[in-house]
Amino acid sequence: MDKVAFRLNVNGMDHDVLAEPRKLLSDAIREDIGLTGTHVGCEHGVCGACTVLIDGKPQRACLVFAIQAQGQAITTIENVTGEDGGYSPLQQALHEEHGLQCGFCTPGIVVTMEAYLKENPDPSERDIRDVLSGNLCRCTGYQSIVKAVQKAARRMRGEDTEVA
Amino acid sequence: MSRVNDSNNFLSIGKSLPRKEDRRLLTGQGRYLDDIQVAGELHACFVRSPYQHALILAIDTEAAEAAPEVVAVVTGKDLAEWTTTHRMAPPIDGLLPIEMTALPADKVRFHGDPVACIVATDRYLAEDASELVEVDYEPLDPVCDMFKAMEDGAPLIEKDMGTNLISHQTFETGNILHVMESAGRVVESTFSTPRQTPLPIETRGCIAEWDEGTQHLTVHVGNQAPHPYRSALAGRLKLKETQVTVIVPDVGGGFGQKIALYREELTIAALARHLKRPVRWREDRMENLLAASHAREDFVRTRAAVDANGRITGLTLELVEDFGAYCFFPANYLARVVAVILTGPYDIGEYAFDVKVVLTNKCGNGPMRAPMAITSWVMEGTIDNIARELGLDPVQVRRLNMVADDAYPHVMATGETMEDINPGAALERGLEAIGYADFRRRQEADREHGIYRGLGICSVVESTTYGSKFYKAAGIPGSGHECAWVKVDPSGTIRASAGVMATGQGYETSFSQAVAEGLGVNPQDVDIKLGNTDIAPYGMGSRGARGGTAGGGTLYLAATGVREKALAIAAKLLGLNTAYQLTMRDGRVCRLIDDDIQETDLTLADIARTAYLDPTRLPDGMEPGLEVTRAYDPPPMTYSNSCHFCEVVVDVPTGAVEISRYVVVENCGNVLNPQIVEGQQLGAIVMGLSGSLFEQVVYDESGYNQTGLLADYLVATASDMPNIEILSVATPNRRTPIGLKGMAEGGVMGSIGAISNAVSDALSPFGAVVENHPISPSRLRLMLREKT
Ligand code: FES
Ligand code: FES
Repeated sequence: MDKVAFRLNVNGMDHDVLAEPRKLLSDAIREDIGLTGTHVGCEHGVCGACTVLIDGKPQRACLVFAIQAQGQAITTIENVTGEDGGYSPLQQALHEEHGLQCGFCTPGIVVTMEAYLKENPDPSERDIRDVLSGNLCRCTGYQSIVKAVQKAARRMRGEDTEVA
Repeated sequence: MSRVNDSNNFLSIGKSLPRKEDRRLLTGQGRYLDDIQVAGELHACFVRSPYQHALILAIDTEAAEAAPEVVAVVTGKDLAEWTTTHRMAPPIDGLLPIEMTALPADKVRFHGDPVACIVATDRYLAEDASELVEVDYEPLDPVCDMFKAMEDGAPLIEKDMGTNLISHQTFETGNILHVMESAGRVVESTFSTPRQTPLPIETRGCIAEWDEGTQHLTVHVGNQAPHPYRSALAGRLKLKETQVTVIVPDVGGGFGQKIALYREELTIAALARHLKRPVRWREDRMENLLAASHAREDFVRTRAAVDANGRITGLTLELVEDFGAYCFFPANYLARVVAVILTGPYDIGEYAFDVKVVLTNKCGNGPMRAPMAITSWVMEGTIDNIARELGLDPVQVRRLNMVADDAYPHVMATGETMEDINPGAALERGLEAIGYADFRRRQEADREHGIYRGLGICSVVESTTYGSKFYKAAGIPGSGHECAWVKVDPSGTIRASAGVMATGQGYETSFSQAVAEGLGVNPQDVDIKLGNTDIAPYGMGSRGARGGTAGGGTLYLAATGVREKALAIAAKLLGLNTAYQLTMRDGRVCRLIDDDIQETDLTLADIARTAYLDPTRLPDGMEPGLEVTRAYDPPPMTYSNSCHFCEVVVDVPTGAVEISRYVVVENCGNVLNPQIVEGQQLGAIVMGLSGSLFEQVVYDESGYNQTGLLADYLVATASDMPNIEILSVATPNRRTPIGLKGMAEGGVMGSIGAISNAVSDALSPFGAVVENHPISPSRLRLMLREKT
């Protein structure tokens, strides 16, 4: 299959990519653009580790061909930060609540839940667990991630602002 | 010497310091295997057998070799020239020797067995070319059922072995036969877990670089035990061990699947040397599900001789494990531990076991958090069956048979000594928390309304840290010791290393606490360097639950050695005769005067500068420098204990199980970092629940693996799992440094038993008992249909 040239916009920057049309977006982000925070755990859309935002919506980068993402704004974990350039409230809460162990699932979870909290500032625990069920984590048992999302939501709403 | 390290007076350990690892992992800056790029690298892809058992008559690689960008196509014949055959033949009674080549040249033994490897400049093109390799197979009769595999005339996985029964071990106490025969009542129970897979979210993979100039091989690989891995790799490649460096980057989970040297990794390393170019391999999820080590799949039967009160007078265990086709570990290694520690907290003097391990045409088995997972379910399920058959309260039967907490150390019938545990206290504390009497009332009342609640209790005695004496006694080659060093640089910065490697356990944080405690500095000032075999001292790696006690304990000892030397130097510099009354706090030398601690002007950095750059000022005869290497061999075995309580509601029409409450009471001794320990406990409990409710590698009757996609291999998601309440009745181990015991696997053991017992309790009005996993809705419906 011949390679074709196209342009991807990732984290606000344009990147020229020369790749086969069958190249997955997850592979292009990691290999051609060199942003390796987006992880690949299954390449079948099941584990959620590869989740990125495409035009603000969480999508599994392993289910999209890179060339299909031309002209759209892609956001990856590398672009998630707090206002001061440090942790976002969610990253901070995951850090405090021990919401990650090996960290392999973490970028997908951060990207997914950041987008979710923007739309849903006051989710119930059940809501959080339902949304999180699209991301597999084999290490934490999920409980500490759920706690962290709750804590981040509280802080983003302006409650419980104390940072440990 | 100083009073700083009294067990009640820790300054650094026992604190929930947030993890140092998190910054890189939360921001996408972690560096896992597949994130590393090497200039000029080639990509490998394996051709795998579609047959479960077949002779390899010929492999035609010509078309693949001619495909675009393909650099090499190799088969078992090529690998046989470059690598040695691995012979697994430890001197263990009842275990037969077995050999394994890098890639099979004679026949394939399971669906997914690798037969050829393609190397190309691009991973996609390597995969394209793999479809052009033509293998001429002659199918053989497969045997995919462990019981059939033991029958006369069954197809043989290893022809020369003459049998598929690769290991058969038995044990009995003197009077067991008599006790069983003369028992008033014998209660029989069976248990079975299906085949499972550890399923780290990061699959396997490696990068091998051969430096032709220095004749040196560097392998990057996610692995829990880098030094034993290096030894194996060097041996198989006929290299000196000094010619091999193993570097372990961030690892996306292991759970037992990243310990052994896999055949694929050996092949990649051999190819890098042969081609004199870097070669990388990243396993896809299908390969991981088909061909990375599987686990479990066992059948267990217990027979318990009991009196009318439920007192167990004798117990026998039969265990059969399906080990698959290849042995990356001695075949008896996993099953034997189950048999040895089965009786756990119960006082059962007469005991016998019969443990068989069988080869079949399936992917080979390895450990999976916890290798002895089934143990506690078997023991506690047996107790529940006794209670049910005799019409007794299951809690009373536990109390009646338990070794009293003040009667430890207790020697089990198998000769293992358990000490410093309190299963009685854990049971009672949990009963109180769960409100046992009230639960029984609720259960009774709800049944009237068609709500079937159940409570499952599971006491766990977890073997955590295995010392060398245990290995020796079990006849397993290897050691349980660990090695560590702590070095203070001339500038006063502190680095430390040990032979264990983390796969998510947060060692960079908890180990810095162990070093800080021993040395008298702030954990923030300690840098832990793990995973590079040229830097780390030769150690036994992370497995079981040994990381904290063996790794952290040894680092603590090395750090105390550095502190002693530093304080001896301090005494000299301060013009004192002795270092008695000196201690180190936060990197500063302090004097203990009465109960008062007074800071001096001297810092660790001053001492380090003197030790390296001004050695004439050192005490007479002292070596320059400030570093200590220590090895430490833990007691033959350390034990932790816990008691798990799982409350469920079973929806009888649909068979759905809802976990309504989960409480666990833990005693894992002193801990380095409580938050990290809690994370391990939660993760382990959920892994056990996930396994019990969902997980199963499915081979159809002819041996095809039906679970090659992650969508087919079900695991627990966030919405399936409960919140878990953790309580503690911790007591320290008296023999290990800092009173550590270890944990990380007991949660799996306990939750498997607790959920199974809970569902059986819920279904007791129907007389249905959970004997198989996964406890799926369809299985429950079937069970209920049979009973109603
Ligand atoms: S890698 Fe995309 S969902 Fe698993
Ligand atoms: S932290 Fe390891 S998979 Fe989630």
